[in-house]
Amino acid sequence: MTGPFPLPYNTLVVAGGMAAVGCAAGVVGCLGVLRRRSLAADAASHATLAGVALALAATGRRELPVLLAGGLLTAIGSLVVLVMLRRFTRTREDAATAIVLGVSFGLGITLLSGMTARGIPGSAGLEQFLLGQTAALTAADAMLLGCLSVAAVTLVWVGLKEVVLVAFDAPFAAASGWPVFAIDTALVALLAVMVVVGLPAAGAVLVTALLVIPPSAARQWTDRVATMLVLSGAFGLTAALVGVAISAAVPRLATGPVMVLAAAAIFAASFFLAPKRGVWARWRQQRELQQEWSRAGRDPTQAPTKAAGRSGP
Amino acid sequence: MSRPQPDSSPHCLEFHDVTVAYGRRPVLWNIDLTVDGPGLFGIIGPNGAGKSTLLKAALGLVPLAGGSVQFFGQPLRAVRTRVGYVPQRETVDWDFPVSVFDVVLMGTYARLGWFRRPGPRERELARDCLARVGLADVANRQIGRLSGGQQQRVFLARALAQQADLYFLDEPMAGVDARSQEQIFAVLSALRAAGKLIVVVHHDLRSASEWFDRVALVDMRLIATGPAAEVLTPENLQRTYAGPLDVLDELGRAVARRERTP
Repeated sequence: MTGPFPLPYNTLVVAGGMAAVGCAAGVVGCLGVLRRRSLAADAASHATLAGVALALAATGRRELPVLLAGGLLTAIGSLVVLVMLRRFTRTREDAATAIVLGVSFGLGITLLSGMTARGIPGSAGLEQFLLGQTAALTAADAMLLGCLSVAAVTLVWVGLKEVVLVAFDAPFAAASGWPVFAIDTALVALLAVMVVVGLPAAGAVLVTALLVIPPSAARQWTDRVATMLVLSGAFGLTAALVGVAISAAVPRLATGPVMVLAAAAIFAASFFLAPKRGVWARWRQQRELQQEWSRAGRDPTQAPTKAAGRSGP
Repeated sequence: MSRPQPDSSPHCLEFHDVTVAYGRRPVLWNIDLTVDGPGLFGIIGPNGAGKSTLLKAALGLVPLAGGSVQFFGQPLRAVRTRVGYVPQRETVDWDFPVSVFDVVLMGTYARLGWFRRPGPRERELARDCLARVGLADVANRQIGRLSGGQQQRVFLARALAQQADLYFLDEPMAGVDARSQEQIFAVLSALRAAGKLIVVVHHDLRSASEWFDRVALVDMRLIATGPAAEVLTPENLQRTYAGPLDVLDELGRAVARRERTP
């Protein structure tokens, strides 16, 4: 172990890469939350484990790009199964998602533990993909993940107009000629890629939290999509850095749970403190209104004039 | 080979034998309907009669089990930008983080095409459309912080920003206060004066004859179509609204009274 300061090159690169991953997860996650695809992303993330195991079994190479490519394949496979289940059976959306999530995760765990038990070369330590462990990352891996994150954010920026239109009002988008299914497919594919990119840091079980918590926290502070994207990215970045730092300082502490807890702290703060939508702000608004009403007494012409809360004018 | 046509300009909107089914349950049956502009055209019928479905079928939002729909003599594909749409208010999440102005701007997206962002011209147009529905002063407000009538006018402004020749409105007066109803009707009348065709799905019989020039009575099938005064007869209404008859008689008489008064 090296001392905390000055930080070695590898640690710095990993921290930078993970900051980019956290930021991108926050940004991409916004679109997933707005289009209500968070649960689909969760199913996809649990399915990555099987892909990681299969990639190792098929190639015998334990290189991050190989393993992640396998993870991406099974993630997309699970999404295809999800769509088919909904289309060709009468299974409801939440049940279908739970089925796909459970089955694919069970498959992944079985493969993983089976391969570890049989001592398949390279299978030791694969469980880092379960909960995430950034300490094991090389600088090259971190740089790859960072670059993919930048690409994901760029894609969000390019297709923002189309995705927001579909997320807000899909029938209107379809009626004015936009291919809603194709736009949805592209969005879900991007979510799957982001899940896989976040996999080494947060792990299959928790990576969805990085896609959902920062956007939900950001939503508390703003009524604009653009601001929400920026805030969510900043929250994700912060959570990722906190996770990397604490799990680096504490031996054998998985990164994913720390990242998620950091994100949850940001969410809790937003939930209580955000202006307008926060619990505290709403409580104060309510009280002000009550005071004005009681001052107005029983004369309805003296009713409070300030529009409070979510009521119309 | 060209066939001589009596009228050189094709009809604005033509339904040919349109049949729509959800699964095995038919919702619309052999609808044959031709609508020409300019004018306000009402699609009237009881709940569950398939009025909204007729509109969605025309826009390609639900698949046709049979028949076809043509706009200006062409399939919808070819003339999408000439068709505007105001969906039902309940179809969207009003807690979505967009402003009134953002939503109206969405009306310009189809003309902009892929990946191009709205510029000064589109913004100017959106501001103008908001002013036409009387919402210029709430442009920056989050859409959830509006009354039902204002929300409906936002949707109308978005449709205006589509700069279409034919507008479809799905229950624009449902759950809308009287002042917003008047404002919406004024905007639609202005569109009619500008030579547009406006097709409105409407459930309220009482207001139908004063708002619409022509109507179609629909109850799974097309019951009748033509000028409002000729179609909204007690007999036709009874055939369409085959429900509790005493209420219907009363409505029919009310409509008949309205016809007699100048």
